[in-house]
Amino acid sequence: MTNGWVDIKNADVILAMGGNPAENHPVGFKWFMEAKRNRNARLVVVDPRFTRTAAVADLYSPIRAGTDIAYLLGIIRYALENKRYHEDYVKLHTNAPLLVNPAFTFNDGLFSGFDPAKGEYAKDTWAYQLGGSFAKTDPTLQDPQCVFQLLKKHVERYTPEMVEKICGVPKETFLKVAEVVTSTGNPERAGTITYALGWTQHSTAVQIIRTGAMLQLLLGNVGRPGGGVNAFRGHSNIQGATDTAGTFEILPGYLKTPTGPWQSLKEYLDANTPKPLEAASMNYWQNTPKFMVSLLKAAYGKAATKENDFGYSWLPKVDGNYSWMYIFDDMYRGDTTRAGGKEPGPEALITFGMNPVGLGPNSKKMVAALAKQKWMVVVENVETETSIFWKAPKEYEGPPPSQVQTEVFLLPAADFAEKDGTFTNSARWLQWKWKALDPPGQAKADQEILARIFLAVRDLYQKEGGALPEQVTSVSWDYTSPASPDLGDVLKEMSGKALAEVHDPNDKTKVHTAGQQLDGFGQLMDDGTTMCGNWLHSGVYTEAGNNAQRRNNADPTGLGMFHNWAFSWPANRRIMYNRASADAEGKPWDAKRPGITWNGEKWVGDVPDMKPDAPPGTYGAFIMIPEGVARLYAPTFNDGPFPEHYEAVEAAVVNPLHPGVTSNPAFKKFTSDKDVYGTKEDFPIVCTTYRLTEHFHYWTQHQHQGLLNELQPGFFVEIPEGLAREKGIENGSKVKVTSARGQIQGVAMVTRRLYPLKVDGKEMWQIGFPIHWGFAGDPGHTGPLANMLTPSAMDPNTWTPEYKAFLVKLEKA
Amino acid sequence: MTTQNLEIRRSSASLWGEKTGMRHLPVVSKFIDTTTCIGCKACEVACQEWNDLEAVPTRQTGNYQTMPELDAEFWNLIRFNERDFDGGVVWLMRKDQCMHCEDPGCLAACPAPGAIVQYENGIVDVNPEACIGCGFCATGCPFNVPKFHAKTGKMAKCTLCVDRVTSGLEPACIKACPTGCLQFGTKDDMVALGHARVEQLKGNGFANAVLYDPPGVGGTGVVTVLGHGDHPEWYGLPADPHVPVGVRFWKSVLRPLGVVAMIGAVLGAIGHFMYQGPKEPRARDGEPPPPPGA
Amino acid sequence: MSATASRPSADPAILRARRAEDVVVGEEIVRHRLATRVIHWTVALFFFLALFSGLPIWTPLFGWMAHLLGGLNVCRWLHPWAGALFFASMAVMFVHWLGEMRLEPRDREWLRPQKVAAYMKHQDDGTEGGKYNGGQKLFFFAAALGAVGLLLSGLVMWFPLEFPRMLRELAILLHDVTFILFVLAVVFHIYLGTAAEPGTFHSMIRGTVTKPWARLHHPRWHREVLGEETRRP
Repeated sequence: MTNGWVDIKNADVILAMGGNPAENHPVGFKWFMEAKRNRNARLVVVDPRFTRTAAVADLYSPIRAGTDIAYLLGIIRYALENKRYHEDYVKLHTNAPLLVNPAFTFNDGLFSGFDPAKGEYAKDTWAYQLGGSFAKTDPTLQDPQCVFQLLKKHVERYTPEMVEKICGVPKETFLKVAEVVTSTGNPERAGTITYALGWTQHSTAVQIIRTGAMLQLLLGNVGRPGGGVNAFRGHSNIQGATDTAGTFEILPGYLKTPTGPWQSLKEYLDANTPKPLEAASMNYWQNTPKFMVSLLKAAYGKAATKENDFGYSWLPKVDGNYSWMYIFDDMYRGDTTRAGGKEPGPEALITFGMNPVGLGPNSKKMVAALAKQKWMVVVENVETETSIFWKAPKEYEGPPPSQVQTEVFLLPAADFAEKDGTFTNSARWLQWKWKALDPPGQAKADQEILARIFLAVRDLYQKEGGALPEQVTSVSWDYTSPASPDLGDVLKEMSGKALAEVHDPNDKTKVHTAGQQLDGFGQLMDDGTTMCGNWLHSGVYTEAGNNAQRRNNADPTGLGMFHNWAFSWPANRRIMYNRASADAEGKPWDAKRPGITWNGEKWVGDVPDMKPDAPPGTYGAFIMIPEGVARLYAPTFNDGPFPEHYEAVEAAVVNPLHPGVTSNPAFKKFTSDKDVYGTKEDFPIVCTTYRLTEHFHYWTQHQHQGLLNELQPGFFVEIPEGLAREKGIENGSKVKVTSARGQIQGVAMVTRRLYPLKVDGKEMWQIGFPIHWGFAGDPGHTGPLANMLTPSAMDPNTWTPEYKAFLVKLEKA
Repeated sequence: MTTQNLEIRRSSASLWGEKTGMRHLPVVSKFIDTTTCIGCKACEVACQEWNDLEAVPTRQTGNYQTMPELDAEFWNLIRFNERDFDGGVVWLMRKDQCMHCEDPGCLAACPAPGAIVQYENGIVDVNPEACIGCGFCATGCPFNVPKFHAKTGKMAKCTLCVDRVTSGLEPACIKACPTGCLQFGTKDDMVALGHARVEQLKGNGFANAVLYDPPGVGGTGVVTVLGHGDHPEWYGLPADPHVPVGVRFWKSVLRPLGVVAMIGAVLGAIGHFMYQGPKEPRARDGEPPPPPGA
Repeated sequence: MSATASRPSADPAILRARRAEDVVVGEEIVRHRLATRVIHWTVALFFFLALFSGLPIWTPLFGWMAHLLGGLNVCRWLHPWAGALFFASMAVMFVHWLGEMRLEPRDREWLRPQKVAAYMKHQDDGTEGGKYNGGQKLFFFAAALGAVGLLLSGLVMWFPLEFPRMLRELAILLHDVTFILFVLAVVFHIYLGTAAEPGTFHSMIRGTVTKPWARLHHPRWHREVLGEETRRP
């Protein structure tokens, strides 16, 4: 979230799209209702299903799953067409005035630079026109090559009629939504957009989210209280995991993972320390060397010296895609996508707090991949589909159990309530939680399991050597209790401390002696005198103590910022980009809802996303971006600088905009015999998947005689009334759903909450079913894995599978 | 559930009235705003856990609603209803539980002295010690709330967490509600809150919004904001609930009349005997008199 | 009591009254053989059991009665079972007595208000009364009907969960009304069977009546039994 949960109460309009917060985030949803009650805010829900969120919305619009970009670009067009955008904001805080290379084109669904053979874009034609090292601008926004004019031209095609044609939403409904949403395109009103996995699980996921961000920028809603682009995370600590290198391509704090071309620290830093594109750009990533060196010092301790590049050479250099989808593809095929597919595939797997058979797309492939492993360690608090993959029912088509050679070790892990530590919530708050009870039996906390494995491996390297033992033996393991590190120690390490006397560069009175905790990332050094496990989390554990444990609910701002409650990264800032909440003079756009204000000497209000004493005009509001302003045009993504509507990989229709390019040309998919895709002729129904309030993932249905199992007792398929009538399906009867990848059965829930759609002139149906069930739950509450049917097609930026829009057929069982 | 330290205003099957009230307690009420209820069932879980109720086995029947009805082991149930409205649908969720009527039909119908009591603060409660499990209360209740508990042979229903309320806490369901659609306070405060919300809704296109506090049962200890107040049945609520006429009739007319009639019959027989004497055969010639004592 | 009282166990009337009915034994006539009396008193027993267990549930005015039976919970348990047994015995009695209770034209004549009034004033001569007069037959059928009403409504009340609310409400009304009428009838039944008509209670205990009693209350039956008139089939 750019803003935070509580801040939603400050919104005048809330657009909930690509998410069902009432269902999946009922506690945070309180703030939606506060906004409705106290500000008379409008809640607008755009969703394929009339959801629990829609039930309390002021305005609901149906949409065909996977067409969010068309919908949002339609709203953007509406805003531009009807001058319902915040012009001063757009001129001041976005890259609308920047001029783009005339070589940039967009024709028939393809941006310039597309290489059809690789299915990838070369991005050089997308660059800005440079004058010196800075981008050229036209502050009047009239130049046909300025971002603003290019955007206007790009969205011209997304008329309300086109939105109706693509999304299946009646034009009148769309226009109502557009009107309410764009009512915040001015200083007086503020609106927020909230989304979740309904946006992130598409082959166009990143571009959907970008479109949302662009809309918010045009409306002047980013950085303001009551505004922002707010992602709701799907797990209690998924934000913390992402911040701390949750995926292979990033190190903690979103530093890039070293790759082959970056063999030395210098090469790495040169490539990853951007140059400013505007004179007023603070370009905060110029501090990359400080973050990286401090991270290396945290990793290797005394072994990291200036002479040995602080141990940079010990970091593995990634030679290809190690996202978990690719790892499973490698496991299944027995070789790697990396190194041209010449390396042997993985032969073993350690899976920690993750249930790939349950949550991976195309379950049959998951089961088959695991069956090819020599051994597997599953660290879990219950028996999962993964840990008993060899017992999968026959429809999963795994080899018979007698032929599965995989040796499985199930290590019992402590539950969330059985260990302390932090949860980082969607609002980026690191909140400490205290252990409530001891783990049962031999179950151990994660850190103990990890530590004991590490110590055993290090022991082996120390005794027996190996190819590069230093990689392991140099790792700093400086914990009071090495076999079970105290998580307070770990948090201290992540927050960062001085290794020698350190002077704050901005405030010479602040001196930290060796061993003292630092106040924040502003004090990090690139000379090895500081260490910090995650620069973004820096400041969470200072000399004042563990700030994640703070529970002071005083709120002098009245806007729900709660600066003394826990710690919000970065720097305890509650609203990111909050400089954009004020105008060129530093006055808040809305005096009643100030983010930060320039008082003549410094910025006051929230922790400023700005040098605290830099007068207005010194720096652009978006300090992390080389442009210094926010991007309406982003020449950095893998599938285009502007978003464009592409159909899901399993396309329900030929793309009405450009029939030659129906789906995202840059999407990623696999080619094994199990990665098959259906066509609209064989599978005419659009299908989506989702979660339910009553269950937590694949976990709660393990409760024996548990209440949650009774509150939502079993798998079901939501079917629109009209379709059910057509197929003769009764509510509560059994149905079969089939995709190109498999078939599942469940109880029909016939409902009016799934509207019939008219897409491109044709009647079309959508159905959906929840995830949650599998073959490993309490015996009375097992069910099919929803992912039996989902495809492994992926977004080209994040490699997230397209769980939310695929094609199926439906029959009576 | 517990009558200790509680002031009783009314008690079932009481000849004399069992008012113990010396203390003046404000009448309390739950507030339910169906327009901000998301049907998350947190109140259901909180109710089960606080009251130590067992999970009632359910199965998937094609509905988000856990069970068709309340149960003796399930006192708090969100009702889900889909209705066509204004060219689309509405999905209405309402937390169903005992309404704690000012004029409780259950208490009126209950034949067991003290089995159903109404405390000074308006909470209507079943006292299992006195309850005989006859189920008359279910017949008297216009909201179909009290349920028979087969294991104990007693009736059971929401107690409005009288144990918590007596200790100054809000009911468990209110405590658990994440959206704030449930509130708890004095009846006056809750009614004021409800009216304010109704006014706001009316300004937002819910022309028929009402605060459901049915006068037919003297008002309820659960006031409910309905967006579609012209259709309470969409929420599973009766439009104009009353203590059933039958209950009133048998309780207030039939039974007193019956008692009078019976006493009258006995007196009539005695009177007839005194006036008319026994009908005995007169002795006829040649026949012995009737045997003595016959 | 009788001529053979010197050997009580061999009282011929008692002996005859075990099996035969409508026969003369000395100065007595057997009116109710043993089976009839057992059935009658069984019905009466269950009636009173149901009554005393039902009254405290019916109104707290009779709440004190519950204590005699062990409390209201016992009553709640006992009442439906007593009621069911009452109905069962009533059914047996119905079948047992049905043959003698057929309504005939003269019974209808008896039931005319003037006749009933005359009966109450002890002015009727009983000419038309067979073994059972119109009033008794009416009571018989009314009791049978009432028992059915009590059973049906009682079943609904016994298992309230199985029936819709409206039906339960009606059942309680029906049970109440039937019960009140039943009790009124029973009050008069008892009065007539005891104080009002000496010798009647005796007939339900010993089984016999005296000839004068028979001649007074049921002259036609008296004549039939003495052979003065052909017995109707």
